Amino acid sequence: MLRTVLLVSLALLLGACASTDTAPPAPAAAADSALALPIYYTTMDNGLRVVVSEDHSVPTATVAVYYNIGFRIEPRNRTGFAHLFEHMMFQGSENLGKMEFINLVQSNGGVLNGSTRFDFTNYYEVVPSNKVETMLWAEADRMRGLAITQENLTNQQGVVKNEVKVNVLNQPYGGFPWLDVPAHANENWYNNHNFYGDLEDLDSATLEDVQDFFDTYYAPNNAVLVVVGDVDTERVMDMVKQHFGDIEPAELPPPVDISEPRQNKEKRVTKVYPKAPQPALAVSYHMPERNSPEYYAMGIITQMLLSGKDSRFYKKLVKEAGITSSVGGGVNLIGNMYNYNGPMNWHMSIIHDPRVTTDEIMLMIDEVIDDLRVNKVSRDDIELARTKMRSSFYGLLGSSTKFGVADLLACFTLFDNDPWRINRLEQEFDAVTPELILTTAQEYLRPSNRLVLDVTNGEDGSQGAAQ
Amino acid sequence: MKQLRLMLLIGLAALCSAGFARELPPEGGPARDFNLPTIERLTLDNGLRVTLVPFGKIPKAMIRVDVHTGNLNEGDNVWLADLTTELMKEGTELRSAELIARQTARMGGELSLSTGLDQTYLGLSVLSEFAGDALGLAAEVLRQPAFPADQLERLRAGLVRSRALSLSRPQAIAAAAYAELLYPNHPYGRSYPTEEQLAGYTLDQIKHYYRDNFGAQRSHVMIAGQFDRDEMMAAVRREFGDWAAGPAPLTLPPTVASGFRLKLIDRPGAPQSTLILGLPVDDVASPDFTALNQMQILLGGYFSSRMTANLREDKGYTYSPRSRISMNYRTANWAQTADVTTEHTGDSLNEIFAEIARIQGEAPSVAEVSRTQNYQTGTFVLSHATPGGLLARISQMTLHDLPDDYLDTYLSAVNSITPDKHQKMSQKHLVTDQMTLVIVGDLARVVPQLEAVPALEGIERL
Repeated sequence: MLRTVLLVSLALLLGACASTDTAPPAPAAAADSALALPIYYTTMDNGLRVVVSEDHSVPTATVAVYYNIGFRIEPRNRTGFAHLFEHMMFQGSENLGKMEFINLVQSNGGVLNGSTRFDFTNYYEVVPSNKVETMLWAEADRMRGLAITQENLTNQQGVVKNEVKVNVLNQPYGGFPWLDVPAHANENWYNNHNFYGDLEDLDSATLEDVQDFFDTYYAPNNAVLVVVGDVDTERVMDMVKQHFGDIEPAELPPPVDISEPRQNKEKRVTKVYPKAPQPALAVSYHMPERNSPEYYAMGIITQMLLSGKDSRFYKKLVKEAGITSSVGGGVNLIGNMYNYNGPMNWHMSIIHDPRVTTDEIMLMIDEVIDDLRVNKVSRDDIELARTKMRSSFYGLLGSSTKFGVADLLACFTLFDNDPWRINRLEQEFDAVTPELILTTAQEYLRPSNRLVLDVTNGEDGSQGAAQ
Repeated sequence: MKQLRLMLLIGLAALCSAGFARELPPEGGPARDFNLPTIERLTLDNGLRVTLVPFGKIPKAMIRVDVHTGNLNEGDNVWLADLTTELMKEGTELRSAELIARQTARMGGELSLSTGLDQTYLGLSVLSEFAGDALGLAAEVLRQPAFPADQLERLRAGLVRSRALSLSRPQAIAAAAYAELLYPNHPYGRSYPTEEQLAGYTLDQIKHYYRDNFGAQRSHVMIAGQFDRDEMMAAVRREFGDWAAGPAPLTLPPTVASGFRLKLIDRPGAPQSTLILGLPVDDVASPDFTALNQMQILLGGYFSSRMTANLREDKGYTYSPRSRISMNYRTANWAQTADVTTEHTGDSLNEIFAEIARIQGEAPSVAEVSRTQNYQTGTFVLSHATPGGLLARISQMTLHDLPDDYLDTYLSAVNSITPDKHQKMSQKHLVTDQMTLVIVGDLARVVPQLEAVPALEGIERL
């Protein structure tokens, strides 16, 4: 019996098509696997940054607009607002009424989605390549302004509350670990509030809030536009100038302080989920600064600890101890190690048999972690981790929607003004040495830098409804 | 190279005028042809099917092997097939599980083996230079499993855990109840074993299930991506050529019950009711299928569908309404699912029945049908633009004995469906008094609402 895994995501569910490919996009990677995507990058007069990457292997194109506003930075008494706002972006603009944006994409043979993440909100469409201009026009239309009513807002408040219910409130493990870890691991409100939103906060949003949010953040100088696929760069740039060129930039607010203090003492938190059939455990550590050598070392460490059946946690917890069937985790609970910009939690999590205590499991986990903090790994270990890294990186890039490529290009432009980083990532991982793994593990995988989140299922371990 | 002309039908976008002149979206230029790669098929003397698809410029090869055995073949021993598959991953007569894990990681891949209702799936995607080695490993896992006794209890505990996890989710509880009502006394209707059943399976039973169900005649080896064609062909013959034919596929179509069935399952305090409404319909081999499927996409199968427009974008009752046809071997069923906010359970059901009645009562407009066809055309290209997507489709074609030119004629078939066909298909297949409805929710709040659902009048709860 194939069990489907619920993929929880703060996204507008629009039925993008699934794909299980693990090949990188054309152009062909050279024998040494160095990626060399062609990239054109420019900034327009109104501040809009535009990236185009041609790939003619399939007659489709992906258009993505990323706004530099994530759920970290939403108003304090309006938790969940950034995500609610993402829904409002589909509710009507100057030339497209409610549902018409989505109809336009789908009636042109395309798929689309929007999602809200820590540091951005994105919107993308994948269409037959002759329809790129149609999409650019539509994205420009909503960047220019919204035309929404109280009725639209009330409707989407209902939809978003139902999204929270189906993905969190009516699930046995609620928001474990993806909402729970940031909530308990972080000190700064920006990083630890409920970004899916409390139902009361979602209800209290007004049309004025929506307009303010739009005016503040949804401006060309706070956005990146990416076009990937079967297109001609010069022609795309003509279209972009025509449709986006006259949109006025906005005065952007000064950046807020989202930094996390250095943690010096282990945190232990217990949470009860009465409907959970088995206890669960998550351990999370604060990540090194993005793009630092240690950050890349953590990428390699992730492969060693968590990726595949040869990984250390799998061998220890699944194979040897037999207390769980799988170990989840990595960098960024609702994304990957590339698409965020700020403090971040590295985590591992398991759902485990009740016959073992949390302390017993922590001994096993510490055995794995301590080994990395005491003994240098072999070159061979690193090589194997790199192969897995490359494979997962290509998997990220390899979907037929080319969304993985668009996502990285957009993030590296939005955060670093450097889309070419995508072609240099593999070199960064190649530079990781056994010594660096050791010092990184010593500093970042120390017990005083971590959260241990223990989930119990109550006294009776009740399973909710029986069959 | 087959050329498929991507004809997007011009559906006049229904832009309702809001009292001022609106700008219309630019149309874009002419569509480029989409070329499906060449698909090479052959059958070895022992009945093994082989499909090779050279694809792309990326130095990776994807190997997929379908074996036509699954829960359908396990009789009353629910999940015996799953337990067998789990144990097959624990090593072969020649290699331990640890060695397999290390070797596949070095090839840049990971071995997957999973059980479905009809088929067991092996997957392994590696860097091209290892394609031959990977095929050898795949053959070894399928042909020479070691079935190590010392791993059995751990894997059994894993299935006990996975059963408990599933049955704590309202969606899984509802799906299991729905399947049981649709396919009584049939493996398709038995989604979960009892804990006692799981506890009882022996190593002997596992070995017997394997011996009775695995063989060349039921298997289909597929390779897509970059590889040396002759070398892989030789490897397939070497690794699989002397595999015993084994049994022919089991044909065991379910008999379906008749009449409307209503099942209510209590989940006290649930903020939402999980709904499944549906019934058995013609399967993919039926001449009706293309039209039937398009009708259900228009009705509830994509975001621009009527159910989504109504339940989500108009009423706000739900986030995730969805209609789909699930296909099994020689049978299929249609279902509309939604997790709706508890206080609007009755209202949601009324809207769902109203949408079914509406399409039965009047053919949709040409524009609405064109929009659905264009969506199908676009997603057809996207889903076949990767080796994985293509192999998934070829696998489906093989299981259901679809003709070799199925992909070549797919788009013209999709675009030939007329609006009145939609109405006819909904009348013929969405017979409401033969439907099964499952509700998992807070019954204290849900049951009173059902009084106000005319479609349920006089229906006895099961």
